[in-house]
Amino acid sequence: MTDANQHEPLLLRVTGLTVRLNSSHGLVHAVEDVSFSLARGQTLGIVGESGSGKSVMARSLMGLLPRRSIAFGSGSILFHTDNAQEQDLAQMPDKLMRHLRGPAMAMVFQDPMTALNPVLRLSVQLTEPLRQHLGLDRQQARSRAIELLAAVGIPDAAGRIDQYPHQLSGGMRQRVVIAIALACNPALLIADEPTTALDVTVQKQILDLLARLQREHNMAMILITHDLGVVASRADYIAVMYAGRIVEYAPARTLFTSMQHPYTEALFKSIPRINDPSHTRLQAIPGRPPQLINAAVGCAFAPRCQYVQPRCRQQTPPVVEVPDAREHRHACFYPISPGLNREEGDD
Amino acid sequence: MTDKTPCQLRERDDIVLRVAHLSVNFAVGKQTVQAVTDVSFDVARGETLGLVGESGCGKSTIGRAIMQLPPPSAGAVIFRDQDMTVLSGEALRQTRTGLQMIFQDPVSSLNPRRRVRDIIAEGLTIWGRDNSAARVEEVMSAVGLDAASAGDRRPHQFSGGQCQRICIARSLALDPDVLICDEPVSALDVSVQAQILNLLEDMKARYHLTMVFIAHNLAVVKNISDRVAVMYLGKLCEIGNTEAIYSKPVHPYTRALLASIPDADPLAREQALLDEEPLLQGELPSPADPPSGCRFRTRCPYAQERCAREEPFMQAAGDDHFVACHFPLL
Amino acid sequence: MRTKVSDQSVVRSRAQGFSAAARQVFGRGFGPGFWIAAGWLLVVALSAIFADVLPVRDPLDPVISNRLNGPLTTNILGADGLGRDMLSRLVHGARVSVVIALTAVTIGMVIGGTLGILAGYFRGHFERGLMAVLDVILAFPWLVLLLALVAFIGQSLMAISVAIGFLWIPAYARVARANTLSVVQREYVLAARAMGAGTLRILLREVLPNVILPVLAYGLVAMGLVIIVESALAFLGLSVEAPQPTWGGMISEGKRHLATAVHVALVPSITMFLTVLSLNYVGDRLRSRFDVRESNL
Ligand SMILES: Nc1ncnc2c1ncn2[C@@H]1O[C@H](COP(=O)(O)OP(=O)(O)OP(=O)(O)O)[C@@H](O)[C@H]1O
Ligand SMILES: Nc1ncnc2c1ncn2[C@@H]1O[C@H](COP(=O)(O)OP(=O)(O)O)[C@@H](O)[C@H]1O
Ligand code: SF4
Ligand code: SF4
Ligand SMILES: [Mg+2]
Ligand SMILES: [Mg+2]
Repeated sequence: MTDANQHEPLLLRVTGLTVRLNSSHGLVHAVEDVSFSLARGQTLGIVGESGSGKSVMARSLMGLLPRRSIAFGSGSILFHTDNAQEQDLAQMPDKLMRHLRGPAMAMVFQDPMTALNPVLRLSVQLTEPLRQHLGLDRQQARSRAIELLAAVGIPDAAGRIDQYPHQLSGGMRQRVVIAIALACNPALLIADEPTTALDVTVQKQILDLLARLQREHNMAMILITHDLGVVASRADYIAVMYAGRIVEYAPARTLFTSMQHPYTEALFKSIPRINDPSHTRLQAIPGRPPQLINAAVGCAFAPRCQYVQPRCRQQTPPVVEVPDAREHRHACFYPISPGLNREEGDD
Repeated sequence: MTDKTPCQLRERDDIVLRVAHLSVNFAVGKQTVQAVTDVSFDVARGETLGLVGESGCGKSTIGRAIMQLPPPSAGAVIFRDQDMTVLSGEALRQTRTGLQMIFQDPVSSLNPRRRVRDIIAEGLTIWGRDNSAARVEEVMSAVGLDAASAGDRRPHQFSGGQCQRICIARSLALDPDVLICDEPVSALDVSVQAQILNLLEDMKARYHLTMVFIAHNLAVVKNISDRVAVMYLGKLCEIGNTEAIYSKPVHPYTRALLASIPDADPLAREQALLDEEPLLQGELPSPADPPSGCRFRTRCPYAQERCAREEPFMQAAGDDHFVACHFPLL
Repeated sequence: MRTKVSDQSVVRSRAQGFSAAARQVFGRGFGPGFWIAAGWLLVVALSAIFADVLPVRDPLDPVISNRLNGPLTTNILGADGLGRDMLSRLVHGARVSVVIALTAVTIGMVIGGTLGILAGYFRGHFERGLMAVLDVILAFPWLVLLLALVAFIGQSLMAISVAIGFLWIPAYARVARANTLSVVQREYVLAARAMGAGTLRILLREVLPNVILPVLAYGLVAMGLVIIVESALAFLGLSVEAPQPTWGGMISEGKRHLATAVHVALVPSITMFLTVLSLNYVGDRLRSRFDVRESNL
């Protein structure tokens, strides 16, 4: 299961990551046996419906899940720091983890309003990580903060820096969140649905901004979204998540040219396409994603899969490589490969 | 305000809803916010009009002004040959039932303390119509809810998509002519979004509805609409049939909007037409202090001196295609 | 296209079996503290209701030989300066406290709550006028106002309840108004109007059910404060007239014996403290619970 990220040095290798959380309804199997790797400067897009475990996975990479809600965790998160050392974040104590958040990895959240502290001026929120991690003094930190605001495209940065979050529009707030995340030049940026709360026009601005900053800093990025369209043209690799598992993983182009997993196909077909004529009937996926409470037997997508076979309900499909394809994996007994003769579903 | 009939209003006898010179102002402190200014459009029987624009441009305000919730500051809303803005009291209540609305946040649209069955029957109960269990179950099954198991539950026991179905059932129970959908799928997951969009199309056919569909997702609007109206900062920029607007947008703002859509299929993306357009820069101006002349001029790459001086009026740009711009990209 | 909502929910609740059903009834996560506090309140309420039939001594009967006897001697909780049984006086005093608390809170809740809902719904001049009046009442020193009211309407149990209840109107009006303002913004109110519901129907069906629970929960906290206000009046000799026992009256009597027999003041103080604490605790827990729940999970 090695990914040949040949050109760039490897930054992150996640193997068999499993996270189960306590909840009032029972054990939540939020992340199950997730593996992937990411090289410097590359973008991994993670797509899936809400409740598929995307945010839990992102937070567990950052070590941001509250300890007491983790019922079980296993797997390794190998992170290559600057001096080419390899550290397992999964084993790292909170204290050391804190030093990595900021300079090594940073996160951008979905809701820009709740990610910012409403009672603190932007200047305070921006300079704090700079002073803490980079040891800048007050004046240096302030001028660096103004640079950062300007870099994320906020006009009149010097004037804006003394404002409060509520004085900014949603798009500007998300820019500020990004500026804070970038303050210490992280090697990895995790963006958890950074544009879901925003308009299309602002969404494009923010995604373009992220792409530009990524290029400038050779930063790796994990871009989480529920919109295939957002990652389609912006990610190098795409991982499709369903019920806590990565059900398909491939380079972006390969995924769209030869998708293998029925869920990927269903997700793709349910999106209205701008090039289709009006009133084109959408192929909705029936039902809802499962609740992830307690372990289920068999393929989690079986109740909604149009290709389901009896075997799918009895065994959990393992992750397998697509023959003759590079870095293309899926977890389905009956993948959609054009060459294979596929029987129709039994219901 | 001009007394001249705006050119985008059509001379047809199957017009169900006509909005003419609609303006809505809100007093915010000492300022007046011009949320909607001089907007005119019409919707013919069986048609779906899509209303698109950025957040805060006045889409929801138009939807509510049509319902007279609250009534607009100026203009007329003609429905069933009556101007609703001059109606009040009982007459207004009566006429209003012909128009129903579905909102963006399905959860906050349902009273958490009432049972689904009562919520759906509410309109029928108010008007003393047949609110029997059979009638309620009929609408519930029409929207794909299982009346037996869902009827006695309360809204918080349902997912967002299911709540949206309940909202749709509630509005259909009164047999309206016009359904105003205010971003009904924006809060939903893509897979559920497709379910709800299909459901709306089915309900439209089954109950012979006319729809006003508000959204900011252009692909969704294209999928469901026969005609599209594009708004910017309280004003209409461009209106016309969907095909014309999407294949040949002539207003600079419409172009910018279309250029910002991420396409799910990187291979199918037709970059030729749109990607050369300069991107929309800067922030939306405040509606309390809109720019003079053309409201889009502060962000328009084609703006010229005339745009600041003179307000552009709607003009024909093709067959059933109208644009408000001094220099349309014909 | 039939969906599987109901199946989903059914599966979920079945998986949880009995505990889910129990949770529906008793609620989840109240914790033992809540139930201890609620139990204490139940004891107080039962004492108040059954004071006359409970096997306690006559609260007004002075037994000189028992004067200032400590707890667990001749009397379970000791006797006061006149030799009257403290337990019995507490039990009968509970009646006064409960009656005053209930009446005052009901008056405040009904009048204040109604005004608050109307203000929050109609806004405009009515709201501004009402809020101005309420602010004036709030700004007035409440003790002086209370003294004036008691002097005016007398010192009977009812009079005192009404006087305290009056003082609570502004607080309830504010709570009800704040809750109404947030409910009125919800789209279901708009949807009701779109369906042609009249104002009264909207107020009763859509607004009231969503405002009443937080207001009731607040009422419990308020009851605790009413009990304290009563004791303050008793200190000034303005509560229900002696020899009728009230908790406030008992504490006030006890202060004369602080040097010699602490229990005379301490026993009613502890009782009152526990009661007020329980009311606050239960009220707070209920309030956080009734904050309109938006969705499951
Ligand atoms: N009750 C109100 N009082 C004051 N201003 C208001 C009120 N309602 C709306 N506005 C203002 O009117 C403008 C248009 O608002 P509207 O809600 O119609 O936008 P919208 O196009 O529906 O946006 P969104 O996509 O975010 O729903 C905004 O500037 C908004 O702040
Ligand atoms: N702190 C938590 N405690 C218990 N369950 C949680 C917690 N956070 C998330 N979950 C549950 O884990 C599952 C996956 O959630 P999440 O990762 O947020 O999904 P996504 O980001 O893909 O929408 C959901 O069922 C969610 O309810
Ligand atoms: S394993 Fe079976 S049920 Fe699961 S996705 Fe593949 S075909 Fe469908
Ligand atoms: S009128 Fe001028 S500013 Fe307005 S859209 Fe047309 S070209 Fe741009
Ligand atoms: Mg998430
Ligand atoms: Mg809106």
